[in-house]
Amino acid sequence: MQSSLQIKNCQLYRQNELLLSLNEQVNGGEILTIMGPSGSGKSSLLNWLTGTLPSSFKANGEVWLNGQNIDNTPPHLRHIGVLYQDALLFSHLTVAGNIAFAMPKGNKKQRLEKIEHALEQVGLKDMGNRHPDNLSGGQQARVALLRMLLSEPKAILLDEPFSKLDTQLRVDTRELVFSQIRDHKLPAIMVTHDHSDADAASGKLITLNSVL
Amino acid sequence: MSVISKSVPINTKATTQCSTDMFTRIVKFSPRFLLALLILPVLGGLISVLLPAFGYAPVLEQTTFSLQGFNALWQTPGLTQMVTLSVATGLISTLLAFIITLMILAAFFNSPWLNRIQRLLSPILVIPHAAAAIAVGFLIAPSGMISRLASPWLSSWELAPNGMFPHDSFGISIILGLTLKELPFLLLMALGVLAQPELGKKLRQQHKVALNLGYCPMTAFFKVILPSLYPLLRLPLLAVLAYASASVEMPLILGPNTPPTLAVAIMHWFNDVDLNLRIKASAGALLQLAVTGGLLALWLGAEKAVKVLFSDSLTNGVREYGGFYWQKITVVLTTLVISFILLSLIGLVMWSVAGFWRFPDAMPEQFTLLHFKSALMQMSSPLFNTLAIGLVTTLFAIILTLLCLESEQLSDKPISRFTSLIIYLPLLVPSIAFLFGLVWIQQLVNNQAAFFNVVLTHLLFVLPYVFLSLASSYRRLDPRFAHVAASLGAAPCKVFFKVKLPQLFAPILIAAALGLAISFGQYLPTLLAGGGRIATITTEAVTLANGASRRTSAVYAIMQMALPLIGFILAWVLPKHFFKSARA
Repeated sequence: MQSSLQIKNCQLYRQNELLLSLNEQVNGGEILTIMGPSGSGKSSLLNWLTGTLPSSFKANGEVWLNGQNIDNTPPHLRHIGVLYQDALLFSHLTVAGNIAFAMPKGNKKQRLEKIEHALEQVGLKDMGNRHPDNLSGGQQARVALLRMLLSEPKAILLDEPFSKLDTQLRVDTRELVFSQIRDHKLPAIMVTHDHSDADAASGKLITLNSVL
Repeated sequence: MSVISKSVPINTKATTQCSTDMFTRIVKFSPRFLLALLILPVLGGLISVLLPAFGYAPVLEQTTFSLQGFNALWQTPGLTQMVTLSVATGLISTLLAFIITLMILAAFFNSPWLNRIQRLLSPILVIPHAAAAIAVGFLIAPSGMISRLASPWLSSWELAPNGMFPHDSFGISIILGLTLKELPFLLLMALGVLAQPELGKKLRQQHKVALNLGYCPMTAFFKVILPSLYPLLRLPLLAVLAYASASVEMPLILGPNTPPTLAVAIMHWFNDVDLNLRIKASAGALLQLAVTGGLLALWLGAEKAVKVLFSDSLTNGVREYGGFYWQKITVVLTTLVISFILLSLIGLVMWSVAGFWRFPDAMPEQFTLLHFKSALMQMSSPLFNTLAIGLVTTLFAIILTLLCLESEQLSDKPISRFTSLIIYLPLLVPSIAFLFGLVWIQQLVNNQAAFFNVVLTHLLFVLPYVFLSLASSYRRLDPRFAHVAASLGAAPCKVFFKVKLPQLFAPILIAAALGLAISFGQYLPTLLAGGGRIATITTEAVTLANGASRRTSAVYAIMQMALPLIGFILAWVLPKHFFKSARA
């Protein structure tokens, strides 16, 4: 079955003021881009999808993930991976530890091999024992991506994930993230300020208006 | 004319230059003064206990070194029980308070309940240990609130039973009292860490990442937040452990007498009319030091062991350890803790106004203000002492703290790790171990100035808290204000008084209220440094707790709680009032 993330009749309110209404389906390997000024409700939409909408917001509508309604699923059981603009790596763990933290439990040796393999694929060979604070911004972003992917999510949300990287790094990292999303055939929603992100995603683009 | 107008600016320039230097010099010198003020009494006190412990006590005409003090100590009947009681009550209460703190944080990390629990528990922080002990004692006594609420329908007691609480020989009452008192402290320290703007935000985001990765919220707390939070909780935890293993107020009011905890026994020996017991007491103080030191070492060792044991499970990918049930258990536990505290406070208030109160009744038959009236009549001198000592100590502590923090900013480097560790010194070294030595020194230097001695001794315990309370706000001040003022030609001393202090009005008042609360609550330092001649509300309350009527005792305990509470209410209201008038 093809994986999909479906937003049915979503209406998002901030204190009774309608921010956005949305009715979309994203299929595996597709990236839906949402653009809009600050305060237009982009990040709140992502919070709603992960089930962590602050109480000052209200939302109607349903979220369906792979044909299942997950409205009443607690955040930690939704299997939706998120990449933020900060890598948010755990500084009490090594690079490998950060990734192992995200992986499902299992045989220790197999997990380590998987981590090594994954690090190698993104050009971070033999960096597993490094401390995340000693990595460059681009390296941190790649570790965050691996951490999210190896947690085996069913859908991916990107919350302005490249906005803190400089131009060349941004292009490379973006390419890596998008190719991984397509390889894994995962539905993805990206929130961004940057038109080049939207162009690179080459999926549907929704532009939100600012609420006056 | 022209000569005069020329000479005036030169003059003013010269004087400001001079006063600047003076101010800067005082500021630069203040950290060293702070260090001396904290180290000298503690070290001096320890040495003055060390010498008599080995038999050298010129006052008692003993000038040869010997082990007679230790011999006498080892022969004390029940010494093992005393040490066991001290170790067990200290360790178990600290561990319990720590574990419940973690469970509350983990279960309510992202819930509005965390703030509600914080608001409910933070007033407990200002309650002195003695007052808390009295309240807990009332709660668990055979005729206390718990037994009243359960009688006769559940227990079928028509008369107050012969219960074992308080004063039980296992120290359960002490453990209960200490746990209830230290839990809010640890919780608020942890919440203080999480309230730091940058660190707190990072930790909350990482918690969210862990949830997105499929972690149950409680597991996410223990695997993601705790490893970053613990290092910042270590010193407060050690301070709690050191205090719990060596305090005298709680064991004196709630503990057994045959034998008491080591600290209480040492106090009795020191205060005995037989001055020769002082040699044994000094040896005991050294033993107490070893016991507390051993406990701190044990804690640090256990910390390492836990880290090694659990480092693998941090990354084993297990996301759920029965979080649902732990959540339920935590809710029950939190409710229990809060209702225990509330019940003991309600009981305290009722005793203070109770007329005739038959046993199983949950409420007194008559209410009367008689106990308050008669207690207040006798209270004026202790009340005056309490306030005077508190105000002088706190004022001095605040001035010194501000100067030290200013020196940090003037020299543009934070206070050294050594200094920040020394600030904790009086909280980590058991006071029973150095206070007696300190009192001996004070008596050698000036025998008459009891008030001054008490203030100096209180300062040791007030300074750390005032410093910790003010430091974060002072360091958070936007340095650009000072830069702007300096670029407009203001001297460092003008920047300090006209720019920084007004911005710090509210934090300074909070620190002052905290300092007052700490000073109000001191029992042993007041008793010893004052040579028993200076009575405060707290010393009176402890004395009354084990003898006089419950009703009088309740009134004193309430006074003990009311004083710091008034301080905090003032600290909270005054800034609002002042800023309102400034705006109008």
